[in-house]
Amino acid sequence: MGTSITTWENATAYFTFADSPVMLGLFAIGAAGIVVGLIASIIRHENEAFKKHK
Amino acid sequence: MDEATLTLESLQAQLAAQQSTFEMHQAMNVEVFYWWCTAIMLMIHAGFLAYEMGASRSKNALAAGIKNILALAVIIPTFYLFGWWIYNAFPGGLIPVNASAALPWSSSMGPDLSDMGTGIFWAAFALFGATTGSILSGAVIERIRVSAFLILTVFLGSAIWILAGAWGWHPDGWLLTDFGYHDVGASGVVHAVAGFFTLGVLINLGARKGKFINGIAQTIAPHSLPMTLIGLMMIIFGFFGFLGGCIIFNGGETGWTTIYNTPTNLSAFAFNTLMGFSGGIIGCYIATRDPFWTMSGGLVGIISVAAGLDLYSPSLAFIIAVCMGFAAVWFAKFLEKRGIDDAVGAVAVHGFTGFVAVILVGVFAGGTPNMGENPEISFLGQTLSAVIMALLGFVPGYGLSLLLKKFNSLRVPESAEDLGIDEVELLAKPYPESNTPASVASDVPNKLANVEPQGI
Repeated sequence: MGTSITTWENATAYFTFADSPVMLGLFAIGAAGIVVGLIASIIRHENEAFKKHK
Repeated sequence: MDEATLTLESLQAQLAAQQSTFEMHQAMNVEVFYWWCTAIMLMIHAGFLAYEMGASRSKNALAAGIKNILALAVIIPTFYLFGWWIYNAFPGGLIPVNASAALPWSSSMGPDLSDMGTGIFWAAFALFGATTGSILSGAVIERIRVSAFLILTVFLGSAIWILAGAWGWHPDGWLLTDFGYHDVGASGVVHAVAGFFTLGVLINLGARKGKFINGIAQTIAPHSLPMTLIGLMMIIFGFFGFLGGCIIFNGGETGWTTIYNTPTNLSAFAFNTLMGFSGGIIGCYIATRDPFWTMSGGLVGIISVAAGLDLYSPSLAFIIAVCMGFAAVWFAKFLEKRGIDDAVGAVAVHGFTGFVAVILVGVFAGGTPNMGENPEISFLGQTLSAVIMALLGFVPGYGLSLLLKKFNSLRVPESAEDLGIDEVELLAKPYPESNTPASVASDVPNKLANVEPQGI
């Protein structure tokens, strides 16, 4: 569903959704969210772990 | 083809086809070169992993390792999301220029048959960023929260150093265009920035419990010095990928150039990388007779000549590296006497050495021309640039870690430090069949402080 080409003839940027900056932007936001979410989950885990070993 | 059918047009067509094939292979060679530089750079991270786990006490060995692994995992995507854009957008200072092609929603930032450069250069720079972020990692072992480290390393590895790169490496970087800045092997843009960022963090983080007793520095011995030494040697191996990635493989007739477009070649880099490596080991060995510092001396030596790898005579590079081996040890002692607990000497090895290395290019290679309208290399230009690099690292490192400290989010609680972060946070033991207790007291003399150890 995400292909950006219909032929390999003269293809340039051919990756999924290359022709859709909006979708690429949404994926970028999703990727950023994962990194932020990772750090948030580590903070929560640390707080719980440190509380247990007070 | 039959000779009788040869025409001028057919010969021109054959020539054009061969030219096209040659250019394609040349572009592929460029990609191949940086692909392997990037792969070799991963050895730096294998080295950091071994070195920092070994430098920790066994109760914190896995926590030190998980920091390194996660640092790679967060710096690579964040460098994709905004790091590459920062490099392209900020060569003039703090006001961005249009660099929309480097944003993650650009069609340039992905597989593109018409672009055989962006991806491979992005990859090399992303690994430079991961290396920079990892320089912080060793200094803060055994007491920093993993979450705080990851926040700090993302800022350092995906924003701060690459801003320095935009200023000092980009063809339009203002340090180059205004001061003639020369730093081909990243002594300033990577090592000085990371080292001084680390110093800022260490001031707010504080020393490991038991490091200073009545103001006197104690030895907190690595739980595995052999692992640390092997890790350092792996970093040295990875440096060949790092420094290879710093040189520009051009197509056409140009050949190799520095990142400043001045002519050079890998032979120049080979001479001075190896001579610097050797000199640094000798300097640190004579200064300390300590295995850890001796092997760290290899790093000191390379970093001390990296800024001028393309310009130094090899014997001079060797002498600089020996002297910087002594100087780095002196600086580490200086910091320790002032209550800074840098567990692996990162501020001295990277920050101080990188800072001086940039200035030394002005001392020994001043007057060397740059390309185009850019001013020649000068002592004043290099010194000002070194100060800017140090401040660019220190100010955000200090400020951000202070903010984390205010929110009580920088350091693990004392109880976790006593028990060990592995047991408290990771629920894992590095050596489950071993019964060796972790201990601060040590009968190994502190060769930096030159005092006898005191038990607690």
